[in-house]
Amino acid sequence: MAFSPPPTRTAVGDAFAQAGMLLSFTASTIAALGRTVVRRRLAWRDVLDQTWFLASVTTFPSLLVTVPLGVVVALNVGSMAGQLGAEGYGGAVVAFVIVAQASPLICALMISGVGGSAVCADLGARTIREEVDAMEVMGIPAIERFVVPRVIAAVVVTTLLACLVMAVGISASYGFQTLVLGDSPGSFLGSLTEFSRVEDFVIAEIKAAAFGVIAALVACFKGLTAKGGPSGVGDAVNEAVVLAFILVFVANTVLTELYAAIVPARGAY
Amino acid sequence: MPVTVSRLPARAARPVVDGFAALGRHSTFYARVLAAVPTVLVRYWRHVLRHVNDISFGSASLLAGGGTIGVVFAMSAVASTQIGLEGYRGLDIIGLSPMTGLMSALVNTREIAPVVASVALAAKVGTGFTAQLGAMRISDEIDALETMAVPSVPFLVSTRMAAAVISVVPLYLVGLFASYAATSLAVTQLKGQSSGTYDYYFQLLLTPGDVGFSLLKAVIFAVIITLVHCGYGFHAAGGPEGVGKAAGRALRTSIVTIAVVDVLLTLTIWGTQPTLPGLGA
Repeated sequence: MAFSPPPTRTAVGDAFAQAGMLLSFTASTIAALGRTVVRRRLAWRDVLDQTWFLASVTTFPSLLVTVPLGVVVALNVGSMAGQLGAEGYGGAVVAFVIVAQASPLICALMISGVGGSAVCADLGARTIREEVDAMEVMGIPAIERFVVPRVIAAVVVTTLLACLVMAVGISASYGFQTLVLGDSPGSFLGSLTEFSRVEDFVIAEIKAAAFGVIAALVACFKGLTAKGGPSGVGDAVNEAVVLAFILVFVANTVLTELYAAIVPARGAY
Repeated sequence: MPVTVSRLPARAARPVVDGFAALGRHSTFYARVLAAVPTVLVRYWRHVLRHVNDISFGSASLLAGGGTIGVVFAMSAVASTQIGLEGYRGLDIIGLSPMTGLMSALVNTREIAPVVASVALAAKVGTGFTAQLGAMRISDEIDALETMAVPSVPFLVSTRMAAAVISVVPLYLVGLFASYAATSLAVTQLKGQSSGTYDYYFQLLLTPGDVGFSLLKAVIFAVIITLVHCGYGFHAAGGPEGVGKAAGRALRTSIVTIAVVDVLLTLTIWGTQPTLPGLGA
């Protein structure tokens, strides 16, 4: 395997070595994706298996996180808007907070925290048992066989999950604001439709897909570079989760700012 | 076959029964952990201090965050930059962008800073706990401790609980500082708002009480994280892969619990019609 890190002594050197390896890992994954598609040997069965697995472990927890989140958004916005004399503003906030920010981030937390840790544990266990090395010896490239299907599966699951999270989050926020806080449903829906944009939905889906790629790549990278027995697998999962969370948060800010610079805000209150 | 018929309800009820059994096992575990905390502060205080050090600075790998302080700082700063930018955009459409300072004082203090710092803590410290305890469990080290008459739950878990509660206070305050600083920088530097206007609304709406409740939230989340992650690690099974899977399941459970407890705490502390301090009612 070409994934063993060069020996480094300092923490800074280690960070740069790991960052470089992650970049080269990403490049070889892209190359492997192109190769498998052109040569028509993409492991379809693995893609389906992984998609089903990731969907089954992430969907329910995501929805359990989304409902309280919708309530928190409604609670804070409702109080603030009420005191500033802007009732019905809740719909507008839901349009760009839940759709553009919360739904991709919840998907990212779930896919990198729950899905990514399972993927990393699976690959890490195979790596320390030298199953991956055995496959390489038999001429089956680990990246084509393991990484490419998982990245595709993660992208499919996050893009679909983001839609579900949006629907549930908007419903929770709407329900809490109209039923518990007693706001007018009409003004909520009115400002929701006035401030919603198709572009918001599109960027949310693009973000969700990007987060899926990040989570899957980091999990596979840390899993395939695991070493040092059972505790090594645990450490790999720990590092994968932390690294994926940080990368996802940074990517979120970068993508949001790029989007805000390209597409101007719509609607006047 | 009357036997098969009579067993059918039992088989259908199996998942429910198993669920209750797991719930009971985890609850008993949590109670034992919490009950032993006062004892370990006296008997194993050296281990508590060592865990405090591990939690705050541990893990030399810079890419994994340079210790928990780095992770909490980075994630809080990035998330709150987002709050500043989105808050400005949101208030701008109703012509109230000068009041973005209140977003920082209210939303950062009450919701974002505690939740983001806790998610960072769960990812870094919590997953680390599961990995450590899980590795000890599957290599029979926990059984070895019991054989040597060392009480494993207080020695391994209650010490971590005490250390987590001690370390979360400075860690969280670092995160809260990062949140305020990042939102302020985003609004005044990236959006070009005057810093005097920003600071006026920020200080008008920031009350010591809110900061205290915010810290209370963070401490409660830290207790939940330690209990859940240690519980999954302590009961891990199924080899190296089992440890990793337990880490994922623990993270799922703690994130969902944090989200639910957060909304309950918000409702308990600020009520269903929270008022903005400083603006009158």
